[in-house]
Amino acid sequence: MTQSRTPVLLIILLLVPALIGLVVFRLYPIALAVNDSFFNVLRGNSVFVGFDNYVALLTDSAFWNSLKITLWFNLLINPIQIALALGLALLYVQNFKGVGVYRVLFLIPIGVSLPTAVIIWRIMLSQDGLVNGVIGIAGVPAQPWLTAESLALYSIIAIATWKGISYWMIFIIGGLQNISPEIYDAARIDGVKAWQRLIFITIPLLRPTLLFVLVADVSINFLLFAPIFMLTQGGPADSTNVLMYEAYKSGFVFGDMGRAMAIIVVVVAILLVIVGLQFRLLSGRREAR
Amino acid sequence: MAATTVRRGVGLGLRHLAYAVIAFIFVLPLWWAIVSSLRPNGEVFADIFPFTAKALLPSPLTLEAYSGIFERGFGMIIGNTMLVALITMVAGLIVNGAAGFAFAMFQFRGKAIILTLIIISFMLPFEAIALPLYTVTQQLGWLDNIAALIVPSVANGLAVFLFYQFFSQVPKDYAEAARLDGVSWLNILLRIYVPLSIPTCISAALLLFIFQWEAFLWPLLAMPSQQFKVIQVGMAAFQQQYQTIWNQLFAVSVITALIPIALLLPLQRYYVQGLAGAGIKG
Repeated sequence: MTQSRTPVLLIILLLVPALIGLVVFRLYPIALAVNDSFFNVLRGNSVFVGFDNYVALLTDSAFWNSLKITLWFNLLINPIQIALALGLALLYVQNFKGVGVYRVLFLIPIGVSLPTAVIIWRIMLSQDGLVNGVIGIAGVPAQPWLTAESLALYSIIAIATWKGISYWMIFIIGGLQNISPEIYDAARIDGVKAWQRLIFITIPLLRPTLLFVLVADVSINFLLFAPIFMLTQGGPADSTNVLMYEAYKSGFVFGDMGRAMAIIVVVVAILLVIVGLQFRLLSGRREAR
Repeated sequence: MAATTVRRGVGLGLRHLAYAVIAFIFVLPLWWAIVSSLRPNGEVFADIFPFTAKALLPSPLTLEAYSGIFERGFGMIIGNTMLVALITMVAGLIVNGAAGFAFAMFQFRGKAIILTLIIISFMLPFEAIALPLYTVTQQLGWLDNIAALIVPSVANGLAVFLFYQFFSQVPKDYAEAARLDGVSWLNILLRIYVPLSIPTCISAALLLFIFQWEAFLWPLLAMPSQQFKVIQVGMAAFQQQYQTIWNQLFAVSVITALIPIALLLPLQRYYVQGLAGAGIKG
């Protein structure tokens, strides 16, 4: 289509609503967060304080502790979710009689929202709940899953993983369906074992999809909020106090929006660095054979 | 491999067993929620210590939890959420579909940059901008207004991207032939491209609907007085207020989960294809 025939007015009409929406409600808030992080509210007046909010974070032990928890949480949850999602996707794409039923069942957690998952799991993990009942069969004593400092973070990982892997599975299925079956047929004829096919064929060819899933998954988990808000409020003893919750507390509980915005900016900046690194390290030139 | 042929019969059985075990673990939380929502409140934790299989069956069976939550006004909350989700869905299909069409059909200056911004906008989760978005909404004077729930969610980068991808695949010849016959662009869009894009419309519609149905942090911030409650917030509030009315808590969770599942299951093909396609290109 040549430039001269381009109906400019129509393009503008088609694009403007979406662009206004994305600029006002997505991009502008980001700029605003950066701006607000340079201000403090004192007696109802906004006062420009430059980098004070950031400098204050440097010596703020609550912030550092929260950063440590956020990083540890992500170091665990992302590999777990992606490995399980890959496994589930491999099961999903198999073809045999009756697989359809399992495919439907694998998709069910997608329809369960995180708050719903949290409520169900909170009761399941309670002292008299189902989980303690089931481990009781094996003679394991009941555990305080959500109220023990040593367990709460891992319980949240389990809940978010249960809720998340079906969603990530879908993207991996798309990637798997894109790999041509001939490659597998050839490998099978050459006597390549199933686990070798997985490591030397499937995973390298899935690299772009896995990279996408990794980046998207890290972005979500880095900013995870709902389960912490609903289950532990950052406790017990701040053991689940991730940065998003620290920012929320700062802004909406203690009314310190400047600090809240500074934390958000730092979180997003760290996230962008991590995502950038993932692209650098993983999109690599090494082509699959 | 000859051995596999011999083992095929046994293999299929083992396979079903393995799949069934995994699927069981997967569905167990929701199943237990359904079972418990159908029991009287005093019986929710029966049969767990010591654990017996009866814990996974709704006995004794009663619907009192469900009538209980409707007495507490959950019908209203479901209606509110439906309203928000449906308006967002319809407006979102029009707005994002139009933008995707424009990106796919026309060349214009700055297209690559705008597309990159759109992709960034959907890679960055909503949570990241929820706090600053609160300030924007405050500036617009929309706090506690239903517009605050709907308008910011209509333009959706992922939905634009889905439509862009789909319309890029449609041969340009259709449009060119119609143009030669003197058909206006608007008619080309409405008569040729919209009917072709129904599967994409379904995946985008599901995306928008589920996004609103699951929204939690944003409605919590944007509606501080909570006169107009949506379901996730209503559920969380219920949880805090009535900690020990277990069966009603479960009933609320089950309804909250079953509505999107009822939409997803018959339409799963579109949802899976739509999202999976976005992942490959993204």
